[in-house]
Amino acid sequence: MDSIEIQKDSNFIAELESTLENDGPYSSWELFSMAYQAELTTMTPEFKGLRALEYLPHIQFLDHQIDAAEQVIETMNGRAILADEVGLGKTIEAGLILKEYMIRGLVKNALILVPASLVNQWVRELNEKFYIPAIAHRKNYNWDQNIIISSLDTAKRSPHREKILDIEYDFILIDEAHKLKNHKTKNYEFVRSLKKKYCLLLTATPVQNRLIEIFNLISILKPGHLGNYESFLENYGKGRNQIKQDAYLKQLIQKVMIRNTRKNTTLNNTKRNIETVWIDFKPEEKEVYQDLEETASTFSSFSKITFLREICSSREACYLSLKKLMDEGNGESQIQPIISKIEQLPHHAKAEKLVEIIKQFGDEKVIVFTEYRASQLYLQWYLKQHGISSVPFRGGFKRGKKDWMRQLFQNHAQVLIATEAGGEGINLQFCNHLINYDLPWNPMRLEQRIGRIHRYGQEKDVHIYNFATKGTIEEHIMTLLYEKINLFEQVIGNLDAILSELNISSMESELENIYNESTSAGEVKIKLDNLTSIIQNSIDETQGEQSYGYS
Amino acid sequence: MAIANLENFLQNYFIFHRCEILENEDGLLKIQLTEEMDRALMNRPFYWHYIKKIGQKGEPMQLTLITNPEKREEKGDWVHFGSPRLQQIINHLKENEKFTRLFQKVSADKNTAMYPWLVVNLKISYKGKHKKDEVISIGLQLVNGKMRLEMMDYLKELPLQTAISDYCYTISPLIRLQSGYKRIEAVISNYLENQTHGWAEESIETLHEEIQTLKHFYEGRTEEEEQMQKEIEEIKERYQPVISCEVINGGLFYLTE
Repeated sequence: MDSIEIQKDSNFIAELESTLENDGPYSSWELFSMAYQAELTTMTPEFKGLRALEYLPHIQFLDHQIDAAEQVIETMNGRAILADEVGLGKTIEAGLILKEYMIRGLVKNALILVPASLVNQWVRELNEKFYIPAIAHRKNYNWDQNIIISSLDTAKRSPHREKILDIEYDFILIDEAHKLKNHKTKNYEFVRSLKKKYCLLLTATPVQNRLIEIFNLISILKPGHLGNYESFLENYGKGRNQIKQDAYLKQLIQKVMIRNTRKNTTLNNTKRNIETVWIDFKPEEKEVYQDLEETASTFSSFSKITFLREICSSREACYLSLKKLMDEGNGESQIQPIISKIEQLPHHAKAEKLVEIIKQFGDEKVIVFTEYRASQLYLQWYLKQHGISSVPFRGGFKRGKKDWMRQLFQNHAQVLIATEAGGEGINLQFCNHLINYDLPWNPMRLEQRIGRIHRYGQEKDVHIYNFATKGTIEEHIMTLLYEKINLFEQVIGNLDAILSELNISSMESELENIYNESTSAGEVKIKLDNLTSIIQNSIDETQGEQSYGYS
Repeated sequence: MAIANLENFLQNYFIFHRCEILENEDGLLKIQLTEEMDRALMNRPFYWHYIKKIGQKGEPMQLTLITNPEKREEKGDWVHFGSPRLQQIINHLKENEKFTRLFQKVSADKNTAMYPWLVVNLKISYKGKHKKDEVISIGLQLVNGKMRLEMMDYLKELPLQTAISDYCYTISPLIRLQSGYKRIEAVISNYLENQTHGWAEESIETLHEEIQTLKHFYEGRTEEEEQMQKEIEEIKERYQPVISCEVINGGLFYLTE
């Protein structure tokens, strides 16, 4: 009892006295007793449990989301890493936790740091779903607002930095926290110096690639939980193999990290239907493709691959790159004839296929992903010729424009044509058809694309169509890489961990190297075979340690 | 005494604020606000500022509240326990209905004495790793010092009004308000001391554990002393057990005994 601090209400009786002296104003019995009833209604009579659920009757929470929120509040005491796989609703979990703390009066002010492109989305989710009056930070705003959302990049810069570091926050949330895995960065140093009570770190990328990275994240929440830096390195080294062997370490990590995977949640309900759509080049297109392949000597092998990939996507994409190369004064004699041929090409076989497939959907929404800006523009124009409305989407769009395009798509257009960077941070669950017009060479990006629609909130089965042109580089990638390691069916949440363990920093350059260093198609095949079997092998190995957090 | 029927609660709230109920059917409540309630709830200070400046009376708005979830598609605010509108109303109540002075209504034909009671409704919050609240309602008779718990439930059964009834007169308190309040505080302290506070012990244990862990982390890193102190403060802030008593509302009640 002695160690408990007691705070009394020292103002009440004096205020009552002065009200009596002034002879009022007095409450009527009815309103007086209603205020008492209101307090009885809003108080929280139990230490445990989520009161927030009664406050949010319009949200259908999934079991794993409620479990996660309870676990963070009740056993992790408000400091945790939420590392669910993409699309399982980390934002929902975080919102629920924040709401619960606010209802219990434990959080009055909060700082929420998210990537700049997601600020508006966070504001919208917290306002509309959770009735949390969060606001986006704008120029000249004070940082001591109740619930404020900003980007880490803004917050860490002067003069914001100094002001923020002066404030004691009840709650700090950092989205995309894998940016903090390196303790030598400004981001890391900044986040560590924030004054905070509760703290959530959100990341979709499994951070268990490198033990030292997880050590760094945990040191923000609970310094010393995994020992100090020196002892940790000594015991576990920098690798990640240790983690499998060390059940104790795994247990320690589970005390601060929650990782739900699709496997252990109920989200399996909506299925992914994957279909490969093969396209045959028209003879003219085939000729250009072969010309490009044969003029190899002129181009650096890197650009050769690029041109081949481009011609599989659209005339326009390839034309622009070739033209650029020529304008820079290279190989005019070889390029000019190809360019002339490209100019004569009819509409692209793939584009025709695209129209055909979209028409089959009736008026259902479709997202089309392409790797190239030029193809994006071409497709927009080409769809319009066939009476199909579409909106473009690019990573380079400003926040407001992204929101606007998303709305246009939801309410007016049938198709959203996105380039690669558009894949991140926009939720399109209202759509369940996705067409990979051309395949990325980085499987992580593929997962991000699919994650836009196959995520929490999707109510229908998701249909994914992968376009690939026969007899081209696309066929190789499709059959030798993607189909072989079953990338479409299984969620590849842990693929980047696997790649980094195999020391493959970029899948894309790995593939380019294979093409560049091989002299024949047979050699390419053998090398791709090797690569896929190594990856497949690692996937099998890591299946066992998949479920990281509680399960 | 918690709000059992939201529909009635809302209706009463507006009736007691002298607003006209335009419609009340099947979970749909339509109210004509008064100027006072418009200012309190509709968040349009500029309108009122402007309208008064040009010497007009102003037109208070109408409000439609929907408590029946099946009607939530209709025009109006869907009100449930988490909705911003109900939170606003609850906050408005908590802020404005703090003090009162009331008299028991009696129909007497001879002189009747009315005894003063100090009534205090308290919220006690226990905060360690987690938090819970408890509400206590206490009345203290300021002449003979008699104390009564669950005072609100007792008062609920009595007819109460803002003016004293005919033929009634008030007895002056022998116990001053300040000392009366001290007696109530003493009772609360006693109540708290006689509880076992397992929650606080657990919390302190975690507090010590985490500080130990933290110190281990910073071993041999004297240059980070400041950072360590900051983190120790954060741990204390998070786990140090605190019991806080906050008065919800209270007042002076004149009752027949």
